[in-house]
Amino acid sequence: MAFFGLDRVSRFFNLIKENGGFRQSLYKLYRQNDLKSGTLVGTDKLGNKYYENNEYFLGRNRWVIYSPSLGTDFDGSAVSPAWFGWLHYKTDIPPTQKEHVQYSYIDTTPSPNPTGTNKAYIPYTTGKPKIQAWVPPTRS
Amino acid sequence: MLQAGSAVRGLCKAIRPSAPIVKAADKAMAAHALPATLVLSRSQSNKPVVADNRVEVFVDDIPVMVEPGTTVLQAAAMAGVEIPRFCYHERLSVAGNCRMCLVEVEKAAKPVAACAMPVMKGWRIKTNSEMTRKAREGVMEFLLINHPLDCPICDQGGECDLQDQSMAFGSDRTRFLDPKRAVEDKNLGPLVKTIMTRCIHCTRCVRFASEVAGVEDLGTTGRGNSMEIGTYVEKMLLSELSGNVIDLCPVGALTSKPYSFSARPWELRRTDSIDVFDALGSNITVNHRTGEVLRILPKTNEDINEEWLADKARFACDGLKRQRLVAPMVKDSKGDLRPCEWEDALIVAATALQEANGSVAAVAGGQADAEALTALRDLVYRLGGQHVCTEEVFPDNGSGTDLRSNYLLNSSIAGMEEADLVVFIGTNPRYVVLVLPCMSPTPGAWCWCCLVCHQPQHLGDSSATVEQLCAGTHAFSSKLAAAKRPMIIVGQALLGQSQGGVLYAKICQLANKLRGSVEPSWRVLNVLHRVASQVAALDLGYKAGVAAVRQQKPKVLFLLGADEGAITRSDLPADTTVIYQGSHGDAGAAMADIVLPGATYTEKTATYVNTEGRAQTTLAAITPPGYAREDWKIIRAISEVLLCVFNVVAHEEPMNVMLQSVGAARVDGSAVLRPALLQLEDYYMTDVVSRASPTMAKCIAAVKKEKSNRYHSK
Amino acid sequence: MTTLSRILPSARGLLHKVSVNNVAVTAVAVRHNTTKTYGNLSDEDRIFTNLYGRHEWRLKGALARGDWYKTKEILLKGVDWILNEVKTSGLRGRGGAGFPTGMKWSFMNKPSDGRPKYLVVNADEGEPGTCKDREIMRHDPHKLVEGCLVAGRAMGARAAYIYIRGEFYNEASNMQVAINEAYKAGLIGKNACGSGYDFDVFMHRGAGAYICGEETALIESLEGKQGKPRLKPPFPADVGVFGCPTTVANVETVAVAPTICRRGGAWFASFGRTRNSGTKLFNISGHVNNPCTVEEEMSVPLRELIERHAGGIVGGWDNLLAVIPGGSSTPLIPKNVCEEAIMDFDGLVAVQSGLGTAALIVMNKQTDVIKAIARLMEFYKHESCGQCTPCREGVGWMYKILTRFVKGDAQPDEIDALWEVSKQVEGHTICALGDGAAWPAQGLIRHFRPVIEQRIADRDAAKAAAAN
Repeated sequence: MAFFGLDRVSRFFNLIKENGGFRQSLYKLYRQNDLKSGTLVGTDKLGNKYYENNEYFLGRNRWVIYSPSLGTDFDGSAVSPAWFGWLHYKTDIPPTQKEHVQYSYIDTTPSPNPTGTNKAYIPYTTGKPKIQAWVPPTRS
Repeated sequence: MLQAGSAVRGLCKAIRPSAPIVKAADKAMAAHALPATLVLSRSQSNKPVVADNRVEVFVDDIPVMVEPGTTVLQAAAMAGVEIPRFCYHERLSVAGNCRMCLVEVEKAAKPVAACAMPVMKGWRIKTNSEMTRKAREGVMEFLLINHPLDCPICDQGGECDLQDQSMAFGSDRTRFLDPKRAVEDKNLGPLVKTIMTRCIHCTRCVRFASEVAGVEDLGTTGRGNSMEIGTYVEKMLLSELSGNVIDLCPVGALTSKPYSFSARPWELRRTDSIDVFDALGSNITVNHRTGEVLRILPKTNEDINEEWLADKARFACDGLKRQRLVAPMVKDSKGDLRPCEWEDALIVAATALQEANGSVAAVAGGQADAEALTALRDLVYRLGGQHVCTEEVFPDNGSGTDLRSNYLLNSSIAGMEEADLVVFIGTNPRYVVLVLPCMSPTPGAWCWCCLVCHQPQHLGDSSATVEQLCAGTHAFSSKLAAAKRPMIIVGQALLGQSQGGVLYAKICQLANKLRGSVEPSWRVLNVLHRVASQVAALDLGYKAGVAAVRQQKPKVLFLLGADEGAITRSDLPADTTVIYQGSHGDAGAAMADIVLPGATYTEKTATYVNTEGRAQTTLAAITPPGYAREDWKIIRAISEVLLCVFNVVAHEEPMNVMLQSVGAARVDGSAVLRPALLQLEDYYMTDVVSRASPTMAKCIAAVKKEKSNRYHSK
Repeated sequence: MTTLSRILPSARGLLHKVSVNNVAVTAVAVRHNTTKTYGNLSDEDRIFTNLYGRHEWRLKGALARGDWYKTKEILLKGVDWILNEVKTSGLRGRGGAGFPTGMKWSFMNKPSDGRPKYLVVNADEGEPGTCKDREIMRHDPHKLVEGCLVAGRAMGARAAYIYIRGEFYNEASNMQVAINEAYKAGLIGKNACGSGYDFDVFMHRGAGAYICGEETALIESLEGKQGKPRLKPPFPADVGVFGCPTTVANVETVAVAPTICRRGGAWFASFGRTRNSGTKLFNISGHVNNPCTVEEEMSVPLRELIERHAGGIVGGWDNLLAVIPGGSSTPLIPKNVCEEAIMDFDGLVAVQSGLGTAALIVMNKQTDVIKAIARLMEFYKHESCGQCTPCREGVGWMYKILTRFVKGDAQPDEIDALWEVSKQVEGHTICALGDGAAWPAQGLIRHFRPVIEQRIADRDAAKAAAAN
């Protein structure tokens, strides 16, 4: 089978199957630009699902599928701090195995990245303005 | 006079930027491509061709033919060999004290000072021989032993003669093991910073002060190693040309106080431009970095400012950053000016102009450029307006401003050096057009010398004196009549008089009379303007003075940088809409209903015509701040909103050249002809930019304080 | 600074030309080849007969000594005759440079361009060791006043300015009295001596700056400006005091002119070797038994001068260390050179020194010669005008090195550095003060280098001993 490469065909169909059929797979491709199969390691409060498949090479073997509630409008800021370390290989122990340490003074609720919104951070100079504008006299 | 005037006028038409305004800018660009500015009425000196009595000398075996009396240094320059120097400067007297220019002359026992030694026939000058190099290295070593070598914290670093020449001619190590000399710094006022330990005693500053600026305040005290340059006693350098000593200083002993520690020369970008603080049109180089003008330096123009620059032109550039109009403003319902978008401002302005129904007038201020003036004139005329005026007054009786020679400095600035007698009427050239007194006086020009070196002869304060002069009954008249190349220079204090017209006409007659006895090409009558825009405005058909506007009471008044208070709110009906366009918030913007932010001279490429009728172009060094735009573009934008784009304007200017009889006119001889700017403190703030300049404010405060210094003789 | 005023290398070249063209001097040249020795001037050949102030210095005494005798006749003989006599005499400027006086005065006889001409007498005698002019001015002032008139006539000058050193208060008083007497007697002023020639003499007191003895600095000072030497050219003969042609001459030069005219140039030329003719005032100071000013024949041997007139060296001739032969600006010469030295222009140039003002400063073996030269350098540092770089910076530098040499606080290679610095100053300055400051240092290194080296070594040894 392997000699003729027919195992790839069966792997392809397994992948479709694991991802919930053709229709669901197409949606996932549209949403994530990728189609992967792996073991579900855990789910965070937002509903993001974290997978691992060590058959993929390092850097691609852990991934997150964002919660369906985020739709297509998601970005990396939705990853919960507890899972961030595992996802970025800071640790190999997922928070499902060892409870993530919580500090009361750190707000761990993720907030969406404000880039592109009017809350976005715009750098500004802290120096004195080069031009001093004229302020017209007011009647009041 | 009539004929000569017409000829000049013909020339003037040739350069008048009355073509389409869009093209005006192109033209300005074209003008820039030709660095030589247009010269209109230059009197040519007719030197007779003398027989060739030149002598041949050899500079490094290169034969050069030079005039007798040429110095070794000049002869070497002709041969293309640069001899190092510190104390020598072309425009100052020769001191010969730095000894850097020592060169070997064949058969001479010791090296000669090239700057002072006239060449003799057949001399063989060796600028690269062992003896010359040894001499230079020795002098260099001597100069450096007591120099602090603090180049890393010195503002002169990068443009320092001592640095450059020690790299080229000096040794790479020192043999000096003893402590260095230190000298206390002097306080020369708010413009010139002194670090006297760096001084190499070239005395350029001393010679400049006494020979060019005409103040004897600088000098040397002490002897030998303890010699110091200073003001003898602690006092300010009270001169309106003091900034030039900064350029002259070959080391970092005299540096610019406002510019101190702000930039290195290699960081700066340089843009050649024209100064607009007076009517002289001094050539300048704007030094800027990251969209900020940091300093202004003079640029050599032999016909105008030589290489000097007045303090206002040099130091008022920090006024370009203050009190700026950075956004268009329109008055809201409460009557307060509110910033708004360009679109809104243009529509409001255009609507007002449209609804004025032809009752439109314009007043131009002192720093308006020719392109904007042209655009504004065409806009007003297209809308049916009658009056485009300037703030500066000029008599309009007689031929008025129809003859170009009536309002120009006809003899030209450089021509002043040829004059043997100059009479200033109603003007103080020192503070009106600053660099004028710097022109090196020729031996014959006694009156001119007086201004710089001695007390000028004061003829009188009243218009009666002018009448006596014109009638030939004044004691001075005989001298005037005897002069071969007399100049009468008329200024604003006379022209702005209520009787200025009549007086001016009388002076014209006097000048006409004098022309009979002087050489044909010589011009007697000259006008010295105060502001940079005036000649261009008169060339473009603007009326001088705002009397017509006051009379007309227009519905819309357009002020183009008019801030001197020639017309105020009280002169206008309550329903008049005032549109102010300019760079700074001042009197004009304060009375306006609509404010359109324009550009200053460093931010636009524009044409200015100086008091001798020379058209020159500024180059945009930086961009206007915020929403400010170049002036002619704003006016053109208004015209586009008004749907009356005037790309072709065939405007006929009033050309009715008539010489009316003025002989019968009577003058009340009591009018006082004192120029407005008599004291140094009057000089520093005369326009929007200098009024906004903190440096100029400091100057005024320092000069006023200095008046209580008992070491200043009155 | 009278020594320094015109030390021009070209002077010697010009001098050769003169002697060739001048019959009288060539006649002397023949005599030069004989083995005659000079000195021991007889009393009847002395010009300054009241040098020691033993007689009346006023007009009465001056007339008794023969001053103002037939001055009118001298004046009436005309410019050419006076100039010829002075040329014949072979008189060379007594201020130090030794420029031929006759030639210098004849420079003034160019066609007039309407400007008046002036004679300026340099009486700013500030050279350390020199005290000849003050003796003339306080004891024989009429010699100078008469000299002004004769010299002024020779160059067609309208007036003479005597620029006298500020410290010479009594000398200035005597001079002024003499001038007043001369005016009163009609000897100067309108129709001076009845010759029909108008001539005024003014006195101007300086303020005590050595540099004002340099001729152009003197002119500047006379004009009321800071006494700073001018650039040459233009030379004072073209543009001098108040912009007019001017000749600056030393007091002694001017004062001997009337006697030369009265006794004839050939008489004056009969003294001394050729090109060095005449009598001369010598000042001998320092470690001699009898310091004095004495008029003596030129070309007198140095040793004879000291032994005959100054009573010998303190401690005997063998105790002599060195002599500065011509005022502080000339390099010193050690004892072995002094044995043979001839006191005239050429004789001292031959031993790498100079006649200068002929003021001998004698140092015996008890002298710290380094300290002596360092003291001279301090003087030059103090008196440098500060105008031009090499002198302003270099002289101060040399002084700093020399003061360390006195203690031996230096490296041995600094001796070479000092030599080079002095060479960088010499000939690179506007006036001759730089040269005059460099030469003593050069003389010291030339003749006493081992002394300096020893001093440095001693200090190093002492330091090393102290460290152990």
